[in-house]
Amino acid sequence: MLLAGGQGSRLGVLTSDIAKPAVSFGGKFRIIDFALSNCANSDINTVGVLTQYRPYLLHSYIGTGEAWNLASNDGGVSILPPFATQTGGTWYEGTADAVTQNLDYLRQQDPEYVLILSGDQLYRMDYQEMLQTHIDHDADLTIAVKPVPWEDASRFGILTADSNGRITRFTEKPKEPESNLASMGIYIFRADVLFAELEEDAANPDSSHDFGSDIIPKMLAAQNRLFTYEFNGFWRDVGTVASYHETSMDLLGPEPAFDIYSEKFPIMSNASTRPPAFVGPEGTVDDCLLANGTQVHGTVKHSIISTDAYVGANATVTDSVLLPGARVEAGATLVNTIMGEGAIIDDGATYGQTDGKISTVGGGVVVRKGA
Amino acid sequence: MKRVLGYITCNYSTMSYNPLEEQRPLASLPFAGRYRLLDFALSNMVNAGIRKVGMVMPTMYRSVVDHVEAGQDWGLNLKRGGLFLMPGTPFGTARSGGRFLLRDILNNRPFFVRNDYDYAVFSSANFVYNVDLKAMIEAHKQSDADITVLTQTVPEGREDPEVLSFEIADGLVSRTRFGAKAGDTAFLDCFVIGREKLRELVRWYSSTDYWDIFQPLNADTYRVKVKPYYFEGYAAPIFSMDEFYHANMDMLNPDISSELFPADRSVKTKTHDTSPAKHEVGSKVSNALISAGCRIYGEVTNSVLGRNVIIEPGAQVSNSIIMQGAKVGADVVVDYAIVDRNNEIPAGMVMKGTPQFIFYQEKHHN
Repeated sequence: MLLAGGQGSRLGVLTSDIAKPAVSFGGKFRIIDFALSNCANSDINTVGVLTQYRPYLLHSYIGTGEAWNLASNDGGVSILPPFATQTGGTWYEGTADAVTQNLDYLRQQDPEYVLILSGDQLYRMDYQEMLQTHIDHDADLTIAVKPVPWEDASRFGILTADSNGRITRFTEKPKEPESNLASMGIYIFRADVLFAELEEDAANPDSSHDFGSDIIPKMLAAQNRLFTYEFNGFWRDVGTVASYHETSMDLLGPEPAFDIYSEKFPIMSNASTRPPAFVGPEGTVDDCLLANGTQVHGTVKHSIISTDAYVGANATVTDSVLLPGARVEAGATLVNTIMGEGAIIDDGATYGQTDGKISTVGGGVVVRKGA
Repeated sequence: MKRVLGYITCNYSTMSYNPLEEQRPLASLPFAGRYRLLDFALSNMVNAGIRKVGMVMPTMYRSVVDHVEAGQDWGLNLKRGGLFLMPGTPFGTARSGGRFLLRDILNNRPFFVRNDYDYAVFSSANFVYNVDLKAMIEAHKQSDADITVLTQTVPEGREDPEVLSFEIADGLVSRTRFGAKAGDTAFLDCFVIGREKLRELVRWYSSTDYWDIFQPLNADTYRVKVKPYYFEGYAAPIFSMDEFYHANMDMLNPDISSELFPADRSVKTKTHDTSPAKHEVGSKVSNALISAGCRIYGEVTNSVLGRNVIIEPGAQVSNSIIMQGAKVGADVVVDYAIVDRNNEIPAGMVMKGTPQFIFYQEKHHN
């Protein structure tokens, strides 16, 4: 069950019109590609995608799921927005509530295990490995954890585990962390346990219906078998403009933190078919990702130029991310900025700050000279 | 478009020797980095709304089938209609210059008999062009022609012995010849024909020794009205290696590429999960088409790179076409060359052709 209903409000104008998992990343991908590709590469072929906030682009992007080998009559991808029933219907009120409202779907699929994922994280993981540890431990719930630097631990939901990986404690943003294992928000439940917990939680008026705040603490207190699965690979939750920018820049340079080229575990996407990138006779490109359909006639340095984006003659772009279709017109200057899809920096205009602060331009917005 | 059938021959083999053709059928020749020649004919049909397309396979059909698969990338993976891959005469046109073998039409009778249609569009897979076939089909419907042929007046300075050309008298084709030079009306290997007329032609000529559907038409111009439909846009014939090279270099001209690849009548091709190209620190790229998955450390000028090409530090590639998967080693010089797929050019090597003699490095089989 892939949670993709959130707004990601801290991404500001980047999510004013689209849900966070639909936001473009890495030149040609969308954030949800990572979770969907992980499912495909892990041989998980039944995926329910829970949507809510501004889902149109997400729905049309996912389509039949074919792009991730998930178009199947037997399972496949199902898009699950909130729905009405005879008694009315409510929006999804919390991560657990979203799954609870879809218990009918889950029961129809009749799984043995349910994997709960978030659609807005960037990472590669073979969930079969996590599932195997879950089975080996005869766990009710396995939570994927990532060791984080101790000085950062107080920002996360921290899990304390014994030498067998059995979880003994769970503390949200502890001031004095006793462990550095951060919860990744990726859970594997035994299906029967999950269904029982969700039904109980739904009947509890004091619950906020959230996995982290309600379900997990309750299961821990009831001494269910909770285990950790330790993950040590690259993993980012690009929740803020600053972290989105930083993670984008992490794809560049001589030794990128994240290898987008690995063929063993490809990142699949529903990309449009566009001609190869064109660098004009006057174009200069240094330390950049250039996606298909792009045209560069100016100078681009240490940036990501996404599908169909354009950089005009004598324009300069530095330390920036141009989302699909964005245009930096002739003579313009752009620095430290994330441009939304189809945004335009007009002829001769200047945008962005050199003090380290990251600027954004909303999708379709035009920044004119002198603005 | 309802009731229009598409038919594309992918089993053409050139009359004169083309080393590129040794490595794969002409129809699946990689072009402009990520495309293959058949993409243009197939996309033209799909963009005109044609939803039933038969493709005649060459003997070595593996690369064609691998590329089109079930037709999903052209929206032809359909419950009704869609893509039909059909057997072609072994050895195809066998260097005879024929494009539309009568034998292939006869051997694939079920395709023409079992489908319900009013018009058929025939096309080879040797031209690079983006044509509004819908307009051509409409023009055919409005006229009293039996066959409407897609034509173009050959511009100055161009000549091709394999392109067919037409003599026109009173607005109709009076003769078909091999070879087209400046001023001639060249055939772009694409025509529209009505169902009944196609049936008639096949019936008349099937018992003869005629090879290609256009051979008998030379003799029978009194009973078959063939009318030219002129196309003014970019149309590059790809028969020789030189033509292949120059057409690829034409892709570096933004006026030509924007006409060939508009977003609203796009050329469709097989999709891949390849990541965007990475232009590494210190790389220099100028006037070049760079496909996805490329990793560029060195210099690339006036060139076309296919997918997943690696240009190592110090390498200098200019005026060249580097095909998919090739690795150009450190400090290598490649100039006026075509480097076919998967080659690994060892460090320091120099591979230089001239504008008159393009150096060709054959495909590396792994």
